[in-house]
Amino acid sequence: MSDAPESVKITINGVEIEAPAGEMLIKVAEEHGTYIPRFCWHPRMKPVGLCRMCLVEVETPRGVVLVPSCVQPVADGMIVETASPVALKAQEGVLEFLLVNHPLDCPVCDRGGECPLQDQVMSYGPGESRFVEEKRHYEKPVPISDLVLLDRERCILCARCVRFSDEISGDPLIEFQGRGNTTEIFTFPNEPFASYFSGNTVQICPVGALTAAPYRFRARPWDLQTIESTSPFHTEGSRITVHASQNQVMRFLGVDNGPTNQGWLSDKERFGFEFIGSPGRLRTPMIRENGELREASWGEALIFVAERLKEIIERSGPDAVGAIGGAQGTNEDAYALSKFMRAAVGTNNLDAQLDDGLNPDFLVGVGSRARIDDLETANTILVWSADLKEENPILYLRVRRAAQELGATLIVVHPARTGLDDVAAHKFGYRPGDGSDLLADLAAGKDGFAAARDALQEGPLVVIVGRTGLAESGGLAEAVASFAGDLPGVSIMPIVRRANTFGALDMGVAPSLLPGRIPARGAEAPLVELWGAIPVSRGLDTVGMLAGLRSGELKALIMVGADPVRDVASGSRAAEAIGAAEFTVAFDLFLTDSAAMADVVLPAEGFAEKEGTVTNLEGRVQKVNRIVPGPGQARPDWSILDGIAEAMGSPIGLQSAETIAKEIATVATAYEGITWDLLEWEAREGAVVPHGDAQQPLEYVAVNAEQPQQTKGLGLHLARTLYDDGSAMRHSLSLAKLAPGMSAGLSPDHAADLGVEAGNQVTVSIGNVSFTCPVRIDPSLSNRTVAIPFNQPGIETLDAAAPISVVAGGPS
Amino acid sequence: MSEPPLILTARMHAHPETSHTIATFEATGGYTALRTALDMGREAIVEEVKAANLRGRGGAGFPAGVKWGFLAPARPAYLVVNGDESEPGTFKDRQLMERDPHQLVEGTIISSLANEVNHAFIYIRGEYPKPARRVQAAVDEAYSAGYLGTNILGSGYDLELTVHLGGGAYICGEETALLNSLEGRRGEPRLKPPFFPAVRGLYMAPTIVNNIETLCNIAWIINNGGNAYSAIGPEDSPGRRMCSISGHVNRPGNYEIVEGITWRELIYEVAGGIRDGNELKAWVPGGASAPWFVPGEHLDTEVTKAAIDSNGSMTGSGAVIVMDHTTDMVAAAERLVRFFAHESCGQCTPCREGTTWLDMILRRMLAGHGRATDPDVLYDVSDNISPGVTWPPKMTTICPLGPSAVSPVASLLKHFPEEVAAAVERGTQVPVSIGMRV
Amino acid sequence: MTDIAQWSQEAEALAEAVIAKYPQKRSALMPLLYIAVREDGYLTESGMRRVAALVDLEPAQVSSVATFYSMYKRQPVGKYLVSVCTSISCWLLGGDEVLEAVESAAGVPAGATDESGVVSPEHVECIGACGGAPAVQVNYELIEGLTPQKATELVEWLNAAQPETLNGDEMQALFGGQRSFDWAIHETDSATGPYPAFQPHGTVAPQGRS
Ligand SMILES: Cc1cc2nc3c(=O)[nH]c(=O)nc-3n(C[C@H](O)[C@H](O)[C@H](O)COP(=O)(O)O)c2cc1C
Ligand code: SF4
Ligand code: FES
Repeated sequence: MSDAPESVKITINGVEIEAPAGEMLIKVAEEHGTYIPRFCWHPRMKPVGLCRMCLVEVETPRGVVLVPSCVQPVADGMIVETASPVALKAQEGVLEFLLVNHPLDCPVCDRGGECPLQDQVMSYGPGESRFVEEKRHYEKPVPISDLVLLDRERCILCARCVRFSDEISGDPLIEFQGRGNTTEIFTFPNEPFASYFSGNTVQICPVGALTAAPYRFRARPWDLQTIESTSPFHTEGSRITVHASQNQVMRFLGVDNGPTNQGWLSDKERFGFEFIGSPGRLRTPMIRENGELREASWGEALIFVAERLKEIIERSGPDAVGAIGGAQGTNEDAYALSKFMRAAVGTNNLDAQLDDGLNPDFLVGVGSRARIDDLETANTILVWSADLKEENPILYLRVRRAAQELGATLIVVHPARTGLDDVAAHKFGYRPGDGSDLLADLAAGKDGFAAARDALQEGPLVVIVGRTGLAESGGLAEAVASFAGDLPGVSIMPIVRRANTFGALDMGVAPSLLPGRIPARGAEAPLVELWGAIPVSRGLDTVGMLAGLRSGELKALIMVGADPVRDVASGSRAAEAIGAAEFTVAFDLFLTDSAAMADVVLPAEGFAEKEGTVTNLEGRVQKVNRIVPGPGQARPDWSILDGIAEAMGSPIGLQSAETIAKEIATVATAYEGITWDLLEWEAREGAVVPHGDAQQPLEYVAVNAEQPQQTKGLGLHLARTLYDDGSAMRHSLSLAKLAPGMSAGLSPDHAADLGVEAGNQVTVSIGNVSFTCPVRIDPSLSNRTVAIPFNQPGIETLDAAAPISVVAGGPS
Repeated sequence: MSEPPLILTARMHAHPETSHTIATFEATGGYTALRTALDMGREAIVEEVKAANLRGRGGAGFPAGVKWGFLAPARPAYLVVNGDESEPGTFKDRQLMERDPHQLVEGTIISSLANEVNHAFIYIRGEYPKPARRVQAAVDEAYSAGYLGTNILGSGYDLELTVHLGGGAYICGEETALLNSLEGRRGEPRLKPPFFPAVRGLYMAPTIVNNIETLCNIAWIINNGGNAYSAIGPEDSPGRRMCSISGHVNRPGNYEIVEGITWRELIYEVAGGIRDGNELKAWVPGGASAPWFVPGEHLDTEVTKAAIDSNGSMTGSGAVIVMDHTTDMVAAAERLVRFFAHESCGQCTPCREGTTWLDMILRRMLAGHGRATDPDVLYDVSDNISPGVTWPPKMTTICPLGPSAVSPVASLLKHFPEEVAAAVERGTQVPVSIGMRV
Repeated sequence: MTDIAQWSQEAEALAEAVIAKYPQKRSALMPLLYIAVREDGYLTESGMRRVAALVDLEPAQVSSVATFYSMYKRQPVGKYLVSVCTSISCWLLGGDEVLEAVESAAGVPAGATDESGVVSPEHVECIGACGGAPAVQVNYELIEGLTPQKATELVEWLNAAQPETLNGDEMQALFGGQRSFDWAIHETDSATGPYPAFQPHGTVAPQGRS
């Protein structure tokens, strides 16, 4: 990495300013208050100087010349005129050229009112068109994917969408076609713009050429209220703006938060806003009576839940109650759950992780924790986790950028093909279950691993570890981290999938942790003063609680935004467990498969309906904000929990999300000083905990965990896809249809053995569940591994631990 | 002073039927320059070419030796020979490739040696399969004879030479567009800065791009010395160069000229005068991009780079297109503008939109629907592509193609305003809109 | 994923040899497009997919490149592509009239193909034959110095004789006139379809490929 650039003095419109050498003139000018019009330039993409809108005059040894300021690095002594008569004439000229073929359909254009072209015509444009010839004609908006429409007549050919897709997201599916005056942007015939990031092109299109199907014609910009918030979808904590009109959320846009999403969003988080206003939202509390759920008042429901819980606690003790969830909401809600379980119930049976199933102490306590920005300076990056493109798409973009643009050496270890393979210097696959063997080979720098092993020695090194699939042991990630911990210049990023898992863990929603990353047995004042006596024995995790329900050891289950039936690897066994429980209560936005089995269902407020904070995978705390009211009688989780505690006669004293935030800052060392005010004003980028001089409270040494060897039968790689049958997806109309459905990934040799090709049908049996699905060929898979996407619509939940078999052909 | 020797076309004149074969080439001194060059070493070759003051023959006229001196030190480096010859009026490189391909191959090998290049490419326009076949055959022969490949003539020097066929796009003659094309991309010119080929060229490696004709001079320079070359013709643009003459002349064709004669001599003596005894009306002195010359002002000026430049045009590709008094100049301008509009790569706004707009206006005028405002609009649109409408052009565009389309319009408005006025006057005031030509 | 049809063995082998000639795979894209054209008679979607697979690109990237150039025809063309130059030098000497003659002899306008699929007239920009204007190419084999009369005869001959291969020298002798430069070399290579008759020959594979 180069040293900090020297600074140079330049003169813009007569004013001398200082700027870092090599910075582009357009950016320097803007930072010093001179806005130069532009279309193709985008701060997060390589400058291309195509549109020529940003022409300014620069004095050079060869005289004064017109240069595009977006590709002109500043140099000492440079004298620039951005609005001289020649520069202005050139800018007006370009604008007139752009309008030559641009339709005059602003009144019906989604971009009308927030269109840079429209704006610039107002400020720089010629009055009247001198172009009397016929304009270019194309078929009006054509859908180029399920989410995006393209109107080529409006396109000004700035190539932002093309460059984004190629340079940033690595899906070059939309390209210039043709030449000269008939150049157009288009996809390959019958090959849709099926990118997980397609919505970003809509956001960065400077005109209304690309529009999003979920937003089309829904609102005009001047009718929208806007608030900044943090995306509820991925653990990276993308910064967004939420736009609403008449109490309906209309869209999300990405905000350029440097340390996290840098303006980009996955399509799931961009278009997932639809679930908020879904007609399927729960609106009233419901109590099961004679096998049927009936509506109830809050008063009745809270008392009902409180009495059932009290009765079970009195009969079987507090450890007969457990709670799953809390990773979908705010830190304040998670804190309330943590306090409720410890203070009102008196148990450590609570867990925020459903599927990742990693050791919570490891997740929050691993040493040398990496920040996402460490990727910018990394020499080497090791990704041994889920396919980031599917589960952590923003991290995927950042790793891709590091490998592709910043020259980091990327090593990917994963049982199947991943989205990063094409930019990886080294890719290693293995049969699920054999990960520890591969780790040993890599650590030893065995044949074929030597170059990668050497690269690992070249710090700064960032190691991203997580579970590669649901059928694999979580211990492997700890073993990888343990190996990596000794490498020079290492920082480690343990990752999970569900949005606010790290926030929930930090709030103590884990069988072994208390708020502020301290062990359950380590409670001190002021926590003890506020919470009273805290149980010290380690509680049950999700798997343990589900087993406990089946065995009868656990009697009651509280599900807080959790749907174990769809979300744990062995969903069928989760259903059995819920069925076996004496009492279950679900707080949720929807009547999920799990909630549908509960005794009491309580409507919760969701994203955009409540205020609070969330914590991303690097420990960055950011604010989420309210812009619409919740549906019907929905309440925030903390208030429901407070109400139950009150009715149980063990009040936990919660008044508002904001007072909870203050309580968190008091009791959780790591969160000291993190106030809403701070996050709203000075720390708009978020504040990373522990921060300042505070030390990481929990010290955790990852162990070289023993890996259970799988039997030598077929291995199962069960992995999530970005789009699946999760409840937010189900209730986002535009996204629901994008789940890829079931398929069986086979290695080429395995397919050949079975006599099948890509697209042929095979029948897969896992335990006593069988289904027929098409074959995908994945050369990265080991020969004895079948890759199955997790949680697809219309497929029964599976038992990931059961034996698997594949035969050619469909049902006979 | 005796007539200087033919440099480029001597062999094809002496051996009209076999000039393209390696046998004839070797029998007439071919590949001796290569042997000499292998002994001379890199720096001495560059010095000779510098001493020759050989100017590039592709259009810009930049001294080849100086260009080679700019090659950045990183390796690998590449040499790319520009055989995209597509500038209307130009057909000289075709003759050099078809009739004496070994002269080109030898020049390419020596130039590669001089630039520490181990892989060179000859990019030939797609519409030239015959020249490409000839060059490929010569390359194959050179490989067999040990002039190409590994350890050339036992010197330890290795060179691969690949012949690449274009796909039909004039803009690929622009050197950075050519590099993109050779990389398997759209032939869009790159931004200069930062993508100067000598520093960041093919595959972002240091790259020399030279025209076919430029390299055809190299063997002669090595054999006879740079000073012998620079002694021929004017000091500023010495040597011999190919001049393609076409249009309304009696003897169109390629002529290997020495600069310094007048246009009158070139058109009336060399090219045999205007056909049918007609009168000369105007000519394009250096390929379709060059602003026009007219007899009243330019007929007795010299055909030298210096004189052409100072008269506001350029030597360009050396192509001269002659138009007699029967020519409708509005139509001629339209034909030229149409070419550039058709060949615009389309990436930058003023060229993509402006060249087509100019063409639409001219076509509307020709169709009898001129408007009184047309001359002003023509001028102002030109000004928005090429501010000031001067030559060499100022540009709002990425590359000079856009401004090239302005040349004929500016020339028309300047030299033939009465024809423009007449076209406007013929115009009915019936509004029409001229659609885009695809 | 769409299945990608392989080419003939000969074409696949040639593709492999072509790719080996370049330091980077993608550079082979244009020669591969010609192979695709030769295989199918024009550039089909399936041909572009094959090229994409060979050079590790998305099909959209391949079509982006292919559509930039004018010689990769994306619609079926007749057995003979008759390209008439109407750029400045040819226009000065009657290129437009030659084009009209070709169109009326073929019975279809430029850009179309006659009913029997034999002749496709098109107008092209300068083909580097300005000294022999007006000029025409048939399957990229050049004929210079045509007149409208000779152009008509050319199309009639193509229709009547329908030769499998086209030799430029032969056609020049039959229909041509003034040439750009003297030509005494007998040309033997001939075009076999509406694409340029040029095959990169098998030179030694370059060293130090990445
Ligand atoms: C629009 C445009 C078209 C060009 N076409 C050609 C061409 O067809 N052949 C050529 O040799 N140079 C052409 N050039 C010039 C090249 O960019 C480059 O200057 C030349 O190949 C360098 O070789 P030289 O120095 O030997 O002349 C063109 C330049 C421009 C701007
Ligand atoms: S001036 Fe024309 S040809 Fe040159 S880069 Fe711009 S659009 Fe392309
Ligand atoms: S913003 Fe500079 S050229 Fe487009």
